[in-house]
Amino acid sequence: MTPASKRYLHPEAIARITRLELRARAVVEGVLAGLHKSPYKGQSVEFLQHREYVRGDDLRRVDWKVWARQDRLYVKEFEEETSLRLALVVDASSSMDYKSGSLSKYEYAATLAASLAWLALSHGDAAGCAVFDSQVRAAVPARTKRSQLASVVEVLETVRGEASKGRATAFLPVLKTLSETLPRRGLVVLISDLLGDREGMFQGMQLLRKRGHDLVLLHVMDDDELTFPFDGPTRFEGLEIPDHLACNPRALRAGYLAALEAFLAEARRRCAAASCDYSLIRTGEPVDAALVQFLSRRSSMAV
Amino acid sequence: MPTFDFLPLLWWGLPLAAAPVVIHLINLLRHRRVPWAAMEFLLASQKRYRTRVLLKQILLLLLRVAAVIGVVLAMAQPRWTSALGQLLGGARTTHVVLLDDSYSMSDRTGEAGGEEATAFDRGRQVVERICSELAAASGVQELAVGRFSRLAAADPSGAAAPKFDIPRRPATPTVMQQIRDELASWAPSAHDTGPREPVTAAAELFGAGSGAKSARVVWVVSDFRAGQWKTADDTAALLRELTAEGAEIRLVDCALDATAGAQGGRPSGNLTIERLEVAGGVPATGVLVPLEVAVRNQSDRPVADVAVALREDGAERPGVRIQQIPAGGVATQRIGVRFPQTGSHVVEARIPADAVAVDNARTAVIDVVDRVDVLLIDGALGAAGEVRAAARTGDAFYLAAALAPGAGATTGLRPRVEPARSLTTLDLKSFDCIWLLDVERLDPAEVAALEAFASGGGGVVFFVGPRTKPELVNRSLVRDGKGLFPVPLAGAVDLLPDAAAQAPDVVVEEHPVVAVLAGQRNPLLDAVRIDRYMAVERGSETAVEGGLRRLLSLRTGAPLVLERAFGAGMVVVVLTTAAPEWNTWARGNPSWVVVMLELESHLASARRKAESLEVGAAVRVPLDAAVDGIEVDFVIPPDGTVVHQTASVDQTGSLAARLPAADAPGAYAARWQRADGTQRERLFAVNVAPDEGRLERIGRERLDRTLAGVPFTYENAAALQPDTQSLAGVSLVTPLLLGLLGVLLLEQLLAYSSSYHPTVRQPRSA
Repeated sequence: MTPASKRYLHPEAIARITRLELRARAVVEGVLAGLHKSPYKGQSVEFLQHREYVRGDDLRRVDWKVWARQDRLYVKEFEEETSLRLALVVDASSSMDYKSGSLSKYEYAATLAASLAWLALSHGDAAGCAVFDSQVRAAVPARTKRSQLASVVEVLETVRGEASKGRATAFLPVLKTLSETLPRRGLVVLISDLLGDREGMFQGMQLLRKRGHDLVLLHVMDDDELTFPFDGPTRFEGLEIPDHLACNPRALRAGYLAALEAFLAEARRRCAAASCDYSLIRTGEPVDAALVQFLSRRSSMAV
Repeated sequence: MPTFDFLPLLWWGLPLAAAPVVIHLINLLRHRRVPWAAMEFLLASQKRYRTRVLLKQILLLLLRVAAVIGVVLAMAQPRWTSALGQLLGGARTTHVVLLDDSYSMSDRTGEAGGEEATAFDRGRQVVERICSELAAASGVQELAVGRFSRLAAADPSGAAAPKFDIPRRPATPTVMQQIRDELASWAPSAHDTGPREPVTAAAELFGAGSGAKSARVVWVVSDFRAGQWKTADDTAALLRELTAEGAEIRLVDCALDATAGAQGGRPSGNLTIERLEVAGGVPATGVLVPLEVAVRNQSDRPVADVAVALREDGAERPGVRIQQIPAGGVATQRIGVRFPQTGSHVVEARIPADAVAVDNARTAVIDVVDRVDVLLIDGALGAAGEVRAAARTGDAFYLAAALAPGAGATTGLRPRVEPARSLTTLDLKSFDCIWLLDVERLDPAEVAALEAFASGGGGVVFFVGPRTKPELVNRSLVRDGKGLFPVPLAGAVDLLPDAAAQAPDVVVEEHPVVAVLAGQRNPLLDAVRIDRYMAVERGSETAVEGGLRRLLSLRTGAPLVLERAFGAGMVVVVLTTAAPEWNTWARGNPSWVVVMLELESHLASARRKAESLEVGAAVRVPLDAAVDGIEVDFVIPPDGTVVHQTASVDQTGSLAARLPAADAPGAYAARWQRADGTQRERLFAVNVAPDEGRLERIGRERLDRTLAGVPFTYENAAALQPDTQSLAGVSLVTPLLLGLLGVLLLEQLLAYSSSYHPTVRQPRSA
């Protein structure tokens, strides 16, 4: 494990994650046999069913024995077992730089991404990663090789050291690019604070969904952003928005929380509409707890 | 209106009210900077709550400012003073005490069964009481005290501010004690000063006050006599102005009601010598000069048997007794005084002591000469001095014989017979009376000199006769009523004999000159026969402007002797001859002498009236720059204090020495040295104004009418009991602190609701 990977892979978190199985939904094709069942039919060893031949079907899959007995053309369908192709899409815009604790949102998101990558790779699944703000800043395609984790971590490290301000979020072009470049359908995990062009994000998610990808949205929010605990005269300076506001924060807290709640509700609603699995993760939570919660939820959804 | 014990703290502390605003502004500059990602929610909240937050901030600032003001106010010790408390217990209150020291305040009307005290004593006690209360009162108190007489003293330049006995000064206990000590030396004056000048002085004092407005109180401590207050319209107007500017008017009555005297104290009545003057006669040596003394009974009960004592140049002289003086009336008595020597003589009349002492004496200065010159212009003396008539048969002879009979009968008069041209060559001022005896004509210069003499107060007598030309008289002397001669003449006519011979030719009219002949038939006057007289133009008597007064008439109803005022003097026309040419009057008839002497005395009375100044007036000594020195010593009664004055040219352009004000009654002497080294002395009689001796009170009802529109309090000196508690006022500190607590609680609630309270950050859950 490289020093960089140590930064994001907390041993405690990984230890807890290893007791769990990463189970994709039934609609996602899996690469780990027996564990990940795909809704897609193809060549495999396990017969699924017969169906009547229709024009265009591959003649190689016609069950000639049935034709011989019944004089009808049936094709055989097999359940195909596939490996999971995990695509981690991490928001690296300026808004992700906010931190109130030890980790900024980006650091937390990167840790989460690395943990998921390590989990997938350890189960033989392919894991890839893309880091973006207004565009894809760095990406590594999904692979199953053991060195893939280092590649993923390297990608996650790409944006470190760059100027924190001025990196706006543009979801639509990024997700559009990803939908066009991801070669096979898989699990796309978007880790972001969703502060940016949300409409574009949901449109991008629709594109990915149309491409058959399973979508997971890990919404990372700092505790301060969720509770707004400030008091005293404060000048808030936008990390992405070139604006500032000098105010008494407590006077605006109620309004802020109301706006935030509306935002979260919309995110949940739009995700549900897009068949996207949405999880709100607070940076105040331990990363392992967040992962366990997420994976438990995924597991229950797959049953 | 609240007042403050520590007003300076208020002025120093009030700027602190700006502190919350300043702190707020500083805080705006000292914001903590937080890079923030979720700006959109924050901006949305700010957009939604902007108005509410702004209003809360403003309200919070106002509450904090109010809290600071409340603290400052509490430190300044505010008080809410009642009406009385505002007067003496207020924070910065200026009290002006106007103490009436007119001589009516020396009224000794006693309290029934109590110790005698003058109204002034009670007024002084009121001032002392005010001082005591002020010394004990809280807040900044200032006091100025002035006596009426001092405040009304005329300043020669008219520029100086009124002179308060005690100028405005802080009412500290030490100062108040000094004032009380000074009060002990005060006594009623001899002035009759009313309230107008003192109230004016108070208004000027406030007008010249120190910019900051303070509570103002004008105390008028007086006896409120009717004479001075019932017509005090000017005073009422001044008081109205003062009250309009916020001053409090407090009238304190020091006099006792007359009933108090009636119940056992001194009699409340007061007698005043109203007049002491020469009543006719000739002030010459050896001549019996009639002095007239008038005593007014100022009470509502008649007074009997009043002894009037007389002093002449300090020596007692026989006085007189006045049998009775009716209530509110005047009794006049004549006293004959003969002065053996020439010069100025001081005569003083005195009556027994009563409620007011200062008006029980009156002084007159009588200048006595050896002989008084009387100018007789004899028409018989021609322009060239030719004597056209026998010396013992002319008009001048008979008139001179009447005025100065000689042979032991001393009249003090010295007739001087001159021709008409002497009117322009002689100094007519040295004569009191000029007689023109059948003068044929007067040229314009002579007429002008004669008219100037008459209008200046001299007496002029015309006798007509054969030489008198009516047309000339009418043209040069009557001049359609504008001239000296009273009536136009028609011409000489004979008085036809009375066939029945029952009525005398001469009828006595009502006039002081012929008063001795009036009444029952006088055989002396009955013996007078008028043969010829000068008739006046018909209807001219009634047409004369200013009115004519007859002394004598003829039995036919035609006038014989007429009088008319001319300027300050008098003109008398006798429409017949002085010599027994047209009549028989001067021929051995004693009434001729009596009437002529009375006529001379009457016409000269204006000039011979003894000059008397009133207390408070300036004593002015006119000097002749050519012969008099300019250094004049005034000897002031009663102790003979000498005040030195240097004469100067006054506004009239004449040289005069001036004593600004005579404060005490009595005889004042002015002494100076002439250029030739001789000493000159002139005496002046200064007396009190008799009206001030009227002790009638105005009473509350009439005072209310006089001071209509003036809010004032009217209290009796004895009943004035300033309440210390009310003087101090009710402290507002406690309610203010409660209010402050309320403001602070409200501020905390608002601050909490506005989320300005710091919160304890909850530790993050593991």
